[in-house]
Amino acid sequence: MRILSLTAFLLINASLAGCAPIEPWVKPYEREKLADPIMAMERDPVSTSYIDHVFELREGARGGMGSAGGGCGCN
Amino acid sequence: MDQSTNRPMHRPITRRALAKLCVAAIPAAMSLPAAVANVAISQPAPDFSLPARGGKALSLAQYRGQVVMLNFWATWCGPCRQEMPLLDAMYKKYKGLGFTLIGVNVEPDSDAAEAFLKKVPVSFPIAFDRDSQISKLYNVQGMPSSVIIDRKGKARIVHKGYKPGDENKYLDHIRALVRE
Repeated sequence: MRILSLTAFLLINASLAGCAPIEPWVKPYEREKLADPIMAMERDPVSTSYIDHVFELREGARGGMGSAGGGCGCN
Repeated sequence: MDQSTNRPMHRPITRRALAKLCVAAIPAAMSLPAAVANVAISQPAPDFSLPARGGKALSLAQYRGQVVMLNFWATWCGPCRQEMPLLDAMYKKYKGLGFTLIGVNVEPDSDAAEAFLKKVPVSFPIAFDRDSQISKLYNVQGMPSSVIIDRKGKARIVHKGYKPGDENKYLDHIRALVRE
């Protein structure tokens, strides 16, 4: 029982340390190429949020996608 | 209820278990980023010397005695471009009271900056930090970043990012520091 709680404690500690800042981190002043419009994740944010919403309904799972831009009506 | 499973009785949380939980929360707490846009500090602002627009070099020490606002900007950053005319208006308004604005451009290639400044002319000095040394020195955490330095050379306000309406916050800080 003691070994089990110790293992659980170590696992929780290790998994939470995964939330630490990612290294190497691209500094804000080095993001020139990332700011290029061609590097955007989606071509059109509104249509991407629409199709993401459709996927959410099909899969029955929400989130994990960067869709912003609401107005679908609580569904 | 199901009587066939042998479940042990619930024990209250012991102090040792609670201590273990608190220790386990430390890495989570350390990894939470500070999400504040406007931070008040009081640290001596490191001096630097950078090439400036117009050919001459520019150093922070030559502005000692004035309130200096260092604005780290780039042409690829939308909010930076958005706030440039507002910063120019701010500079023109408070120049006479001992305020200087220095626009530190963080791009390795200054051609884009020069082209932008032809379209959107500003009257405050622009310095070129081509190798990002000064950005590292000032630990720039977001684009744009503004560091407001008081007359004694101490960095007092660090403002990360720009949203419409932030120019009023800048003005409040500048008015307070200009009066000192």
